[in-house]
Amino acid sequence: MPSIDNFYLSLHLLSIHLSYFAFFSAFIAAIAYLIQDASLKSRKLHPLLMRMPDLSFLDKWNYSSIGLGFPVLTMAIISGSLWLNDTTGSFWQWNPRALYSLVLWLTYAVILHVRLSSKIRGRKVAFLSIVAFLIIIFTFFSNCNF
Amino acid sequence: MRLVVTGINHKTAPVEIRERLSFSIKETVEANRLFKKNLAVSEGLILSTCNRMEIYAVLNNHDGDYIAKLTSFLSEFRDIDSRQFKDRLYIHEGKAAIEHLFRVAAGLDSMVIGEMEILGQVKQAYYDAQESRTTGKILNRLFQKTFNTAKKIRTDTFITRGSVSVSSVAVKLAEKILGDLSDKKVLIVGAGQIGEQLLVYLKKNGVKAILVANRTFEKALALADRFAASAIKFDDFINSLIDADIVISSTGAPHNIIRKEDVAHIMPKRRQKPFFIIDLAVPRDVEAEVNKIDNVYLYDIDDLQKIVDGNLALRKNELSNCDKIIESASAHFENWLVKENIKHHEG
Repeated sequence: MPSIDNFYLSLHLLSIHLSYFAFFSAFIAAIAYLIQDASLKSRKLHPLLMRMPDLSFLDKWNYSSIGLGFPVLTMAIISGSLWLNDTTGSFWQWNPRALYSLVLWLTYAVILHVRLSSKIRGRKVAFLSIVAFLIIIFTFFSNCNF
Repeated sequence: MRLVVTGINHKTAPVEIRERLSFSIKETVEANRLFKKNLAVSEGLILSTCNRMEIYAVLNNHDGDYIAKLTSFLSEFRDIDSRQFKDRLYIHEGKAAIEHLFRVAAGLDSMVIGEMEILGQVKQAYYDAQESRTTGKILNRLFQKTFNTAKKIRTDTFITRGSVSVSSVAVKLAEKILGDLSDKKVLIVGAGQIGEQLLVYLKKNGVKAILVANRTFEKALALADRFAASAIKFDDFINSLIDADIVISSTGAPHNIIRKEDVAHIMPKRRQKPFFIIDLAVPRDVEAEVNKIDNVYLYDIDDLQKIVDGNLALRKNELSNCDKIIESASAHFENWLVKENIKHHEG
């Protein structure tokens, strides 16, 4: 077994958790966004809803959290790869874990791209953010967690 | 000692009578003094707003014909025949008077239940009376208790929650959708009273950039002038939708002037920026399907009115909770008043 005090491994573990935290924050904002959006569209406004943050704030919160989490996730993947190289001599191995990290990275890359280029905005970005976080949850409880 | 309130309000008298009996801020201080002196009451205070004129007085026990003296005082002071208002006066004494004042100050007796402006007016009336030196131990204590009770009602019940006018609901929605309004652009198409009211509200809430379009360009110019806005040609208004964050439409057009395809077409050009469309026109100016487009929120006049009605109903539901607070506060004050009375007689 490789030693836990490997620098790359420590960096990898730290950054992966930080990125998950950022994505979790985006997920919360996205859920709040969808609830608020649905009620504004249907014109059914519960008094409690009127005390929630506004849509534009929630949209910003969602994509800013992803904007923070994404580079950290990238760092996690790179440090993971360096650690793999330290222990096995190769930077990349085609296993479920590697495939998963690639899918996750691509998903958030797509979300950031479409939002920052304003191709889509609001409800759909929130929806994507939730889907991406569900991937994290799903894999966390499957075998390919970190 | 007897605590008595006599007055008229929007429920008992039409505006023609209320305006004849109302006192301007300047007059109140002097009127308080004259009232106390002429009627020989031990304390007095006049509360005059556009919806009510009430006189609170602490009488000595032997003041038998207070109401007759009061009507002739008002009739003389305001130069109005007492027959015009005598039957419209309501009179409350003791605990009923205390409860009445608490209800008034909390906005429960107002035309719009739970409105908060009235508390400021009651405070002003109290300060005026202090300046006239016509309040004493009882009214001072009563009004302090009133302010506390009104505050308690405001914080402990939902009576002031929710907007209760079409304009304030629309502004709340705009803030819910767009956030801070100070950098947002408003386009108003057509002119109408509600549309203008809404513009006033939006300006009050920070909106700076306003565009006005009207089929008659002169009308657009006139409206633009009043709001420091810019007028645009009616034929150009569809293009201006690209930059606008809020559109208020209130034309007299017999058909839709903003259709789903128009809005769907401009959304990519707007870079999917959220869009709040307020349709005040009847028949409606905006195709209902527009609401189905992502990031577009369409409300027509009925939608806004429904929210207003819902909020008013919520406030009405809160009345029983307010009554409980008032009941206990007035009972408390009445106890004190009775004790004061006994002391007074013994002394």
